[in-house]
Amino acid sequence: MLYVISHLKKVFDNRTVLDIPFLEIESGIIYALLGSNGAGKTTLLNILGFLEPPTQGNILYRSVQVIFSTSHLQNLRRKVVLVDQNPIMFTTSVFKNVEFGLRIRRIPKNERVKIVTEALDMVGMRHFAQAQAQNLSAGETQRVALARGLVVSPQVLLCDEPTSTVDVEHQTMILNILKQITEERKISIVFTTHDGYQAAFLSRHTLSLDHGKPVYTDRDAGLLD
Amino acid sequence: MNLLTDSLISALHLVVSLDADMVSIVFVSLKVSSTSTLVASLIGIPLGFFIAFKSFPGKPLVLTILNTLLALPTVVIGLFVYSFIARRGIFGSLGLLYTQKAIIIGQTLLVLPIVATFTIAAISRIDTRYRKTAMTLGANQIQTAVVLFWEARFGIIAAVIAAFGRVIAEVGISMMLGGNAKGFTRTITTAMALEFDKGEFTLAVALGIILLMVSFGINLLFHSLQGRSRI
Repeated sequence: MLYVISHLKKVFDNRTVLDIPFLEIESGIIYALLGSNGAGKTTLLNILGFLEPPTQGNILYRSVQVIFSTSHLQNLRRKVVLVDQNPIMFTTSVFKNVEFGLRIRRIPKNERVKIVTEALDMVGMRHFAQAQAQNLSAGETQRVALARGLVVSPQVLLCDEPTSTVDVEHQTMILNILKQITEERKISIVFTTHDGYQAAFLSRHTLSLDHGKPVYTDRDAGLLD
Repeated sequence: MNLLTDSLISALHLVVSLDADMVSIVFVSLKVSSTSTLVASLIGIPLGFFIAFKSFPGKPLVLTILNTLLALPTVVIGLFVYSFIARRGIFGSLGLLYTQKAIIIGQTLLVLPIVATFTIAAISRIDTRYRKTAMTLGANQIQTAVVLFWEARFGIIAAVIAAFGRVIAEVGISMMLGGNAKGFTRTITTAMALEFDKGEFTLAVALGIILLMVSFGINLLFHSLQGRSRI
């Protein structure tokens, strides 16, 4: 199991935004987190990405207890990448944005070039390598953000509403890229959406959240077809 | 011709001919102001980072104190530092009074709050997603701080430029702690005050022109750097 979550709660200003008694996430497959705005999807992704601690509860990541302390999290964050709903690009070129994760891991220059080029190829953005990242459209930004996450070969890719801000053409492109990532690289993906059909199209399992609580889990994607 | 045009023409001659006295005064001013700006930046930028980054008890009080210090008059700092470095002061034996070092100490205290508060503002203004993105891509705290520094770079450069503009134009600290000794602690502003007292406007106006040119040059540099980043 990739994640085993029990008795997880997140409270903001005395308001419980997430309350999950039990949840298991398997590795190597795509999960969809389905729910309306404010259902707690992004909060759950932030917790799964080790970017914010739960108020209470237990999380096992690959059978190891997650301790939300700076030194421990640093190591875990190098295995899980979260791509935001509206990803922000560093104010530099597309290439340097994608290269960032490799630079901080001190990967040699020639290897970095090879990995970045491959990732940009995968998302169809190679010809934008030297463009200023902040000048890209929403769809292009989302694709570069996926490449930026992919280059560090994460065990898990968390995508927060990856298609909500892009046009139809880019939506199809991004969904296909996500499928390709799991099939070719065996990277586990958890993505949020409020589109049931998108969840069915892409994921093997769906977790529906309503006001922070799971409605039902472990549904086969085929049910919605 | 009137006093202004007479002085202006003579002053321009002085500037063009690079008068030795004038060059010496400008050199002292630039040296002292650059050093105090550098020292204030080396302390103020990390301090601003720390305050912007961390949550700690008393943070609002620290911010209020820093903001209050922005309006501190130079003569108050002059008096304060004087009490420490005067012959009878705690550091009197170091012989700092009426030296360039004394001016640098005073000016550093003057602009430290400027650099720190402007850095805090620059860091606080940048999008919180930069921090989150750096963290999720595996950056440690120092690497995340470098990312934030890069994204806030123009705000931080603006802080340094504002600090330099403040020190090069101040007169109270230079006069009280430097003593206006010719060729040694005479800065552009103290020389201008002295020349005015003497009724000699030519050098004063020439130094005024240079002060404006320095200010203009630095702002031009800043705007060209900012422009280049947008291309």
